[in-house]
Amino acid sequence: MAEEKKLSQKTLNTTFWRWWYGNLTCFSHEHMQTFGYMWAMLAVIKELYPDDHKKQEKIMETYHPFFNTEPEIGGIVVGITCGLEEARANGAEGIDDEMINGIRAGLMGPLAGIGDSLIVGTYIPILLGIAIGLAEGGSPIGPIFYILVWNITEILFEKWVFKKGYELGGTAVDVLVGDQATAFRDAVMVLGQVIVGAMAASWVSISSPIVIAQDSTGADVTLISRLDGAFPGLLTCAFVIFAWWLQAHKNMSAVKVLLLYVVIGFVGSVIGLLGS
Amino acid sequence: MTWLQAIIIGILSCLAASVPAMGGTTFGNYTLNRPLIAGFVLGLVFGDIQGCILLSIPMQTMWIAIVTPGGTVPADLRAVSYIGLPLAYVGARAAGMDFAGKDAQGLAASISAMTGVIGVTLFYGTSMMNLIWQHWGWAQIEKGNIECVGLVDAVLPWITNLIISFLPVMLLCKFGADAVEDLFKKMNTDVWYIKAILTVGSVLPAVGISILLKAVVTKTSDLIYFLAGFSMAASMGLTLLAATTVGGVFALLDYKMAMNKLELQNAGGAAGFDDDEEDI
Repeated sequence: MAEEKKLSQKTLNTTFWRWWYGNLTCFSHEHMQTFGYMWAMLAVIKELYPDDHKKQEKIMETYHPFFNTEPEIGGIVVGITCGLEEARANGAEGIDDEMINGIRAGLMGPLAGIGDSLIVGTYIPILLGIAIGLAEGGSPIGPIFYILVWNITEILFEKWVFKKGYELGGTAVDVLVGDQATAFRDAVMVLGQVIVGAMAASWVSISSPIVIAQDSTGADVTLISRLDGAFPGLLTCAFVIFAWWLQAHKNMSAVKVLLLYVVIGFVGSVIGLLGS
Repeated sequence: MTWLQAIIIGILSCLAASVPAMGGTTFGNYTLNRPLIAGFVLGLVFGDIQGCILLSIPMQTMWIAIVTPGGTVPADLRAVSYIGLPLAYVGARAAGMDFAGKDAQGLAASISAMTGVIGVTLFYGTSMMNLIWQHWGWAQIEKGNIECVGLVDAVLPWITNLIISFLPVMLLCKFGADAVEDLFKKMNTDVWYIKAILTVGSVLPAVGISILLKAVVTKTSDLIYFLAGFSMAASMGLTLLAATTVGGVFALLDYKMAMNKLELQNAGGAAGFDDDEEDI
């Protein structure tokens, strides 16, 4: 009986770092992360079939199909395929191109959804928000904090999901998309919603010079002071929610909303409705 | 701006080239690409860390969340960070503006929006030119040369970036700097159209926040959490870290409720409901 094939730690590291660095370096809209994926898997294929170049080519064909997801959380898929390739090289039954690509294709969408909303949409903005706070007055502590915390935590996280993927194979998915994971994800979203509210109030300040009356001393009473008396930052809040509504319910793209707001800001200033 | 400074900024723009960043996704796109980090790095290049970071803050706020599902980008932050920011900085410096003042901050926000949107052409240019290398790569793989994938993935895209990113960024920084300095020096911030540009700069961050809001809100009723965070920060002056704590309370409650529901379901709804205390 042939000796059991086992991927060396060195190869797994090479695969991980190739994916970490190269997942999108050769991005095109046609192939997206396909070449990054093939480059990462090349190390695995070379180790499993060291003397058989024809076999290497054959296995590489598995990874020709299109691949694209949120690449950081997507490290788990690369880990899973490392585990599956190892099992396939040892003659495990039922692992073929179709099965591997079924897993890859099936995970791309859900993982992109989780990664985009949790990592890109929540974690990064929170870190950046804290960094902006620390950078007040032009302090380099803010950016340095972000560079260190983001890169260290991201690498640890991506290494962890990659390792989980390799160890657990197809069942690793439950760690990320099971019921408990979904509950966790929803909870983090709630956290994100509260923080985005605080960000809006801290960073956006839209004002209006409209004067509605004079008080007893003859000083101007502005509309904005009345609005703020009722709900601090009401005008700012309305602008943010309107921009959100246009995107979420009117399917306007962010760029269109941006252009609309350029017009609103410009015209509003010229006719004296907006500005300070 | 010296040639050396312009060249360094050009190279940084390749490393930070939005989605296909040559610095990789984590360190390129999500680190060097962000205006706040660029503020720090450019501060080292210009020898004024404080000034560059101050100007980078309104630029960063506007694009606090850039989510790029399926490779569609609303803005290319490399253009904000490495064209908009350096030009805004040299302009504001030449005009002797207070970097933390209203004028400089408003102008920086407007420049951030413009360069971000115009910069998207750089992103599509990069994506298209990479097709050349991929096309060559497929032909090689067809011939059995599977070892070419590393070259295609990590080396050849540098050529794309030299042409699409390095050259335009370097030239714009070098030759645009003088023009911008002139423009800023002559600018009178009391003129109506400059006032209007400053107002635009104050309105635009609302769009940046709304992009982020869209990323975290799945149903309209979620907005109540947004409003809670907003009113606490606006009325009580809650800082972001404090808001994180308060948000954490809501998140924990939400998680516990969801887990309780799951437990009930798993128990087939038959078993008694036991109020499970924190067991960490």
